[in-house]
Amino acid sequence: MQYEKKVMDQRATDRDYLHKDFHGALADAIRYLDETYGHKATAEYLSQVGCMCYAPLIDRMKREGLSALEKHLVSVFTREDGRFSIRWENGVLVLEVDQCPAVNHLVSTGRSFSPRFCQSTVHVNAAICRAAGYRAVCTYEPGQGRCVQRFSQEEKT
Amino acid sequence: MISCTEFIPAYSELFKFLQQKGGKPAVIAFWHYLSDSFLGNLRDLAAKKGLAGCFEYWSHTLAEEAADFRMTLEEDRFCIEMRACPSKGRLLAADHLQPYPDYCQHCDVLYRRVLEPLGFEYDLDLSQSDQARCLLVIRDKRPEKRGPRDQ
Repeated sequence: MQYEKKVMDQRATDRDYLHKDFHGALADAIRYLDETYGHKATAEYLSQVGCMCYAPLIDRMKREGLSALEKHLVSVFTREDGRFSIRWENGVLVLEVDQCPAVNHLVSTGRSFSPRFCQSTVHVNAAICRAAGYRAVCTYEPGQGRCVQRFSQEEKT
Repeated sequence: MISCTEFIPAYSELFKFLQQKGGKPAVIAFWHYLSDSFLGNLRDLAAKKGLAGCFEYWSHTLAEEAADFRMTLEEDRFCIEMRACPSKGRLLAADHLQPYPDYCQHCDVLYRRVLEPLGFEYDLDLSQSDQARCLLVIRDKRPEKRGPRDQ
């Protein structure tokens, strides 16, 4: 056989952890759930992700309020090089995303994805906020990578 | 947005969710779907460049995943000695998560499904996966093997 010998030896500390192709795997997962089990199951799964995977964030929000979520969002969107702004409006935390890093990566790498991809944000945000005693609303432009996310105190009934 | 740095816990939760829906066959059916839809890049590289294509594919993904590994391309085999898998390592390190028990099997199913039909022999040793370690060996068994020097 004619392969030229090659070796690559890497320590975990040699690189930052940022594998954006994972956005593509999530996009495929959402499409698969929608097509195989229906939209309700997709919402159920994403809510499970919000509650289980973001449990430490939920705990911080219970202790520190929405400022813990603000720190989290700034950290995530900065690390992924998103174009966004974040502000407070009368006690409501507002995140405006002009270029979503996930959608931008899917588009720039030519990956097809469902217009429902951003439901991941809708349901994960809602589940996190519900568990922490807050309310989340997300309006997005499907496939465009633009959205407005609002977070507020849950209304008492 | 679920950040790409937060994807692995969501991935593990997906396997658990599918297991609840339809048992292990439902999980494997998804792995087959993902292999077919998501790994076109590996398929193209391996078909065109053989084991050198495998080296190229994983040198990109494992670098971005900040894995701790040694990867070797030799005359007749390609090998990844994973000393600390970043995905399994994250799941094991997170106290609030209960990883899907067969989490590491997705690597066996996804990549085997791409490489074996192309004529490669695929062997993944997961016996130390509880320590986020594994060993992957791929051999080129295609009748007309062509490495870079042949092209």
